[in-house]
Amino acid sequence: MLHYYDPSTQSYEPGKTGLNPDFDYGTPASVSETLVSMSIDGRAITVPEGTSVLRAAALAGINIPKLCASDNLEAFGSCRLCAVEIEGRRGYPASCTTPVAEGMAVTTQTGKLAKLRRNIMELYISDHPLDCLTCPANGNCELQDVAGVVGLREVRYGFDGENHLDAETDDSNPYFSFDPSKCIVCSRCVRACEEVQGTFALTIEGRGFDSVVSAGQGEAFMDSECVSCGACVQACPTSTLMEKSVIDAGQPEHSVVTTCAYCGVGCSFKAEMKGDQLVRMVPYKGGEANQGHSCVKGRFAFGYATHDDRIKEPMIRDSINDPWKVVSWEEALAFSADKIKGIQARYGRESVGGITSSRCTNEETYLVQKLVRAAFGNNNTDTCARVCHSPTGYGLKTTLGESAGTQTFESVMKADTIVVIGANPTDAHPVFGSLMRRRLRQGAKLIVIDPRRIDILETPHGGEGIHLPLRPGTNVAMVNALAHVIVTEGLEDQEFISHRCDSDAYDTWRRFIAEERHSPEAMEAITGVPADKVREAARLYAQAGNGAIYYGLGVTEHSQGSTMVMGIANLAMATGNIGREGGGVNPLRGQNNVQGSCDMGSFPHELPGYQHVNDAAVRARFQAVWGVPLDDEPGLRIPNMFDAAIAGTFKGLYVQGEDIAQSDPNTQHVEAALKSLDCLIVQDIFLNETAKFAHVLLPGSTFLEKNGTFTNAERRINRVRKVMEPIAGMEDWQVTMALSNALGYPMAYSHPSEIMDEIAQLTPTFTGVSYDKLEQLGSIQWPCNDASPEGTPTMHTVDFPIGKGQFAVTEYLATEERASRKFPLLLTTGRILSQYNVGAQTRRTDNSEWHAEDVLEIHPSDAELRGIHDGDWLGISSRVGQTVLRAQISDRMMPGVVYTTFHHPGSGANVITTDNSDWATNCPEYKVTAVQVEVVTQPSEWQRNFQQFDQRQQALLEPAMQGTDQADAQPVR
Amino acid sequence: MSDQQLTNLIKMLEQIIANNLHHGDDDRVAAVAADHLHKFWARSMKQQILACVQEHPERLSAVARLTLAKLDPEAATPAEV
Repeated sequence: MLHYYDPSTQSYEPGKTGLNPDFDYGTPASVSETLVSMSIDGRAITVPEGTSVLRAAALAGINIPKLCASDNLEAFGSCRLCAVEIEGRRGYPASCTTPVAEGMAVTTQTGKLAKLRRNIMELYISDHPLDCLTCPANGNCELQDVAGVVGLREVRYGFDGENHLDAETDDSNPYFSFDPSKCIVCSRCVRACEEVQGTFALTIEGRGFDSVVSAGQGEAFMDSECVSCGACVQACPTSTLMEKSVIDAGQPEHSVVTTCAYCGVGCSFKAEMKGDQLVRMVPYKGGEANQGHSCVKGRFAFGYATHDDRIKEPMIRDSINDPWKVVSWEEALAFSADKIKGIQARYGRESVGGITSSRCTNEETYLVQKLVRAAFGNNNTDTCARVCHSPTGYGLKTTLGESAGTQTFESVMKADTIVVIGANPTDAHPVFGSLMRRRLRQGAKLIVIDPRRIDILETPHGGEGIHLPLRPGTNVAMVNALAHVIVTEGLEDQEFISHRCDSDAYDTWRRFIAEERHSPEAMEAITGVPADKVREAARLYAQAGNGAIYYGLGVTEHSQGSTMVMGIANLAMATGNIGREGGGVNPLRGQNNVQGSCDMGSFPHELPGYQHVNDAAVRARFQAVWGVPLDDEPGLRIPNMFDAAIAGTFKGLYVQGEDIAQSDPNTQHVEAALKSLDCLIVQDIFLNETAKFAHVLLPGSTFLEKNGTFTNAERRINRVRKVMEPIAGMEDWQVTMALSNALGYPMAYSHPSEIMDEIAQLTPTFTGVSYDKLEQLGSIQWPCNDASPEGTPTMHTVDFPIGKGQFAVTEYLATEERASRKFPLLLTTGRILSQYNVGAQTRRTDNSEWHAEDVLEIHPSDAELRGIHDGDWLGISSRVGQTVLRAQISDRMMPGVVYTTFHHPGSGANVITTDNSDWATNCPEYKVTAVQVEVVTQPSEWQRNFQQFDQRQQALLEPAMQGTDQADAQPVR
Repeated sequence: MSDQQLTNLIKMLEQIIANNLHHGDDDRVAAVAADHLHKFWARSMKQQILACVQEHPERLSAVARLTLAKLDPEAATPAEV
C-alpha cells in the first residue's frame, strides 16, 4: 500500500510511515529523535533534526527544483538548482545541503531565485542535444521537467561553442546504454554506485568542463568492475544511462508492484508495462526488503518469461523415448490422474509423491503438499530445501524453537560485528550484500568463515575483515573453537543465558565446549586456520555490542550441516546476540521462496507451520478442513524417493518447478531413479533436465503471470501480482487444483487469497495474514497472529517459542568424504552473481554474457603441480563420477581446494558430488567432494551421453513446439 | 528392497547414532536415535530397517540394534494398499 504523507493530518516518523515511495524527497531521512520547527513559504513544518531544507520542503508539499539530489543519496550540492533564500542569512544556499534549524524561515520562490535557476538550466541546455521528441526519456526526464519548471525559454549562448554533443555512446552492456552526450555530470550515477551498490565502479574523470562519467579508467561498462545492478540507470536524471528495453519499446504506460522471483532477498519491483508487454523492472522504494535497490538478475534478467523455449501447451507421452504429443489440459490432467491412480492400485498408496517448488508461491506450494497428503493419501512430499536449508529448519527449531531467521535485513545496519559463514552475499544475495557493505563502510567489523576469499572481504572503504579460510568440512570444529574462546575467556552474556536459556542444557554444553580439545590451538590441525586468528575473531564477535551472524549453504550442505546450525545458535545465545536489532542468526535463503516452501508444509514430516504429522490434534484440525484422513507417519525425503524408485517401489512423481535432475547430487543416481518411474509429471516453464525424463509436461507460469505471495529470508510475506496472462492459460495453483480434481479430491479456489485464508486458518504463525492486510501493510513478517497482529520483525525478543533457548552439544565428526592420494583435492561449489541456481531462467537472458560456462577455479600451486594453464580443459574425477570443465587459475582458495559453480547442466557439477548427506536431514554434502584434476582433451563420457540425450529429447519436443502433425513424429530409440 | 537401499538406511542410522553419542550411555543414545527415526523416517524406511535387523543383525552396530528395539513397531505397520 502506498503511504501518502499528509502534513495536515500526520506527524512525521523518521524514514518509516507516511511517505510516498513513488516520490523523491530529495535527500535521505534523518533519524534524529529531536524535532525542529520552521517555516517554508509561510507553511509551518516540524521535522527531525538533521533534515535538509529540501526534504523539509518536499514533506510540506513544496517542490524545490533539483537535479543532483535524490533521496537515496547523500546531498551533494553541485547543481545549485535547489537554491533558496533563508531569512537572516546571506546569499542563496543550496537547500539540499542546508539542514533545518529551529525557527528558520525559508523562501523557495522569488524573482532572484527564478533567474538564478533559469541561468543554471540555460548553461546545462547549451551543452545538451535538443532531441527531446526522439529521446528515449521523453516524458520521463528530470532535466526536461526542470527546464519546464524554471521557465527556460532561450539559450543565449547558442550551441556552437565547445560541447560534448559528439561523445560516443557505450553500448557494451546488454541491458543499458551510456550516452555521454546527454550527461549533465550531476554525479548521481557515481554516487549511486558508491552509496547504494557499494561497488565504486564509476568515477568522474577530468576537471571542470572536461569532467566526464567514466566506468573504471576509461573502460567500457562491460570491461569495468560494474556489476550491472542498475542503480546508476535509476539515478540518472536524463537519458544518459537508459535501459535498452525502453529505447526499443518506448516509455511504459502503467506499472504493477510485485516481488522478484530470484534470490531469497525478495526485492519489490515495479513491473513497468505497455499493455501486456513488460518494458522494464524498476526497484520499488516502498519495498522493505530492498528499499529501492536491485541486482542484475531482478532488474534486467526477465527476458526468459517470453523466451521461445517456454512450454505453451500441455503434452503427454507413454515413454521417454516417444515424441511429445500436444493435448488439451483436460486430456493431460486425465492422463496424469489415471497414471497415478493406476500406480497406486498396483504398487500401493505410498508408491507416489510430489515435490514442491521454492520458486513458486506460498499458495502454490501449499496446494501441492495438500494434493500429496489429501489426494495421494500419503506424506511423500518434499522440496528443494531438502538440498539447501533443511538443516536450518532442524537446527534452529531444536535450539531457538522456530525454523527461521531472527531479523530483518535492515537489522544489519545496527550490527557492530558481522560474521558471514559459508555465504557469499555480494553474489548470491546481492541487494543485501550492498546493505552489508554500507554498514561495513560505516565502521562495522567483518569476520568471514569460508574456504574461499569472497568479495565482501574486498569491500571498498569497508575496512579490513578477518578471514578464517577453513578446510571444507571443518565448520563444526571452527564453531566449537570460537565458542571455546567465548566460554573460557569469560565473554559470555551471563544475564541473557540465566534469564533466557535452559540451565541444564547450558551447563551440559558449557562443560563440553570448555574442554581443551575444542580450543583453537587443538582445532588448528583440523581447520587449517591459525589459532590466534580464531581467538581474535571470537573476541571481536563476543565483545561487539551487536554481533550478527549470516550464513548460507556453506553451513548447511555438509554431513554435519544441522550440527553447525546449532553451533551458530549456541554462539548467538552464549553472547546474548538474540532478540534485538543488530544481532541474530540469519540464514540467507537461496531461492525466492525457500522460506515459504518450508513454512507451507513441504517437508514429509511436517504440515504447514512446522506442525508434525504425528500430532493427533494438529491432524484433526487439518482433517476437519480438508475432509480426509491424514497419514500420521512421515513420508519419503527426496533421496529416499530416488532409492525407492530404483528399488521399484516408488513409481510416480509430480514435480512442480524444481529441476532435480540438475540440482541434486550424484546425477547418475538421480537419472537412474527418474528412468525407473512409470509416471513423471513435470510442471515447469521450460523443458528442464528433469522434464526430459517426464511423461507429462504441464506448462508452468512465471512470477509475472500469477498472483500469490513469496516469503523471503527475513520471513517477510510479499505480494506477487500478475502483470500478464499465463502463457498456457493457467496459473500454477490452478493447474494443481485441476490435477487434484482429476484425481477425485475436490479443490475449488477462485483466487490465491482464498488459499491464504485457509493457510491462516490452519497455521498458528499465519493466523493474522490475509491479502487485505498485505495491501494495508505492504508486507508482513510472520509470526502474524493475535500476539503480533502486524507481524514480527525481530524474533525471540521476550522468550523463545520453546520457552527457554536450548544449547546443543556439537561434537565435531569428520566427514567420510576425505582427500586421499587418489583424490587429493577438495571440491566445493557455489554461485555467481549473474546466474541463478540451475540457470534455467538466467541462461535464457543476456546474463550469460557474464558467465557463459562454469569453470573450475584452482590454486596456482595446484595448477603448476599438474601442468595446468588458464583455459585448459580439466577432467575432474571423484569417487562417483567424472566431468570436464575449463580451468581458471585463482588464489581465492587455499592450495588443496578447488571450486566451481553449477549453473549449466552440461557442466555436470553434480556428476561428481556424492550421496553423503547431513545426518539429521539428508541435505547433500555438496560442499565437500574429494577429487583429482588433470588436463584432458575431450568431454567426459557422462557429458557425451548428456549431449546425445539432450539432442534426442529436444528432437522429441521440437515437433510439438512447432505444432507439426504428431503423426509425423516418430519414436527415437 | 534393494541392497543399495538398505545400505543407505544403515548408513543413515549409524550416522544419526554417531552424531548423538554425547547424550550418554548406549541406552540413552539409542532412545534419542529411535526418537529421530520416529519423527523423520517414512514408514517404509522403518519397515526395511526393522526387517534388516531381523535378517542381518550383523550389519548393524550394537547401538543401532538397540535403537531398533526401541522403535515403536506401530510406526512401521504396513500402510493399507
